[in-house]
Amino acid sequence: MENPLTQETMQNPFAQEPKASSTWYWQVLTGVALLLLLGLHFIANHFIATGGLRNFADVLSYLRNPIILVLEVFFLVVVATHAMLGVRAIVMDFGISDRAEKRLSQALTAIGVLTISYGLWLTWVIIR
Amino acid sequence: MATLEQTKVRRAGRWFDVRRRKLGMWAFALNRIVCIGLVVYLYLHLVVLSTLSRGPGAWDAFISLVRQPYFLVLDVILLAGILIHGLNGLRVTLTGFDVCVKKQKALFSVLMLVAVVALSSAALKIFGG
Repeated sequence: MENPLTQETMQNPFAQEPKASSTWYWQVLTGVALLLLLGLHFIANHFIATGGLRNFADVLSYLRNPIILVLEVFFLVVVATHAMLGVRAIVMDFGISDRAEKRLSQALTAIGVLTISYGLWLTWVIIR
Repeated sequence: MATLEQTKVRRAGRWFDVRRRKLGMWAFALNRIVCIGLVVYLYLHLVVLSTLSRGPGAWDAFISLVRQPYFLVLDVILLAGILIHGLNGLRVTLTGFDVCVKKQKALFSVLMLVAVVALSSAALKIFGG
């Protein structure tokens, strides 16, 4: 099936294909970062750890390493951002109004901030 | 008679139905379905991690439970989702930057083959201990 955008551009030489939005670039950026961070997270917690999972003492010593802590917090921020942008992209495909789009963005930002806050709180409770 | 909103929703929901669609649509739908699954898993994971706040007794008891083989199957399913979404996302990124646009179906097939190989070796590692 021919791309309708290409069809439109062919019929109207003045028509332009829509430019990628900044959210798309953020989705790509966080996605590429996730390939590295998630890979590291999975290998460290499931392949290196004895028996495939860390016990409480191992989790504690793992998270008390400052480099690991920074990487895990960064992972939390990146994964929450990528997830919210992904949900936004799916809902946006329903052709919602500008007003609904604004509300959706606000709601997903709030959910993302809450998710990161919860993760930070949990990390603090574990390592303190 | 269907309202405009109902028509919009019905049209938007079509990506989910991949019957009689080509490989590109399968790749698109697969990416989205796995995306939803991974978002659900993210929150499930965060809820499970709250066990850590209850101390060593609660966490270590939970760990010995999830080391059972049927829970390890869930680990393999999770890894399958991560590999499919990650590698398919890489294809979307490349084509978004006009790289391999004409060969994206072949690229998708190759990346999914990579996912199968990586998943198989990871599954052997997970169940092999």
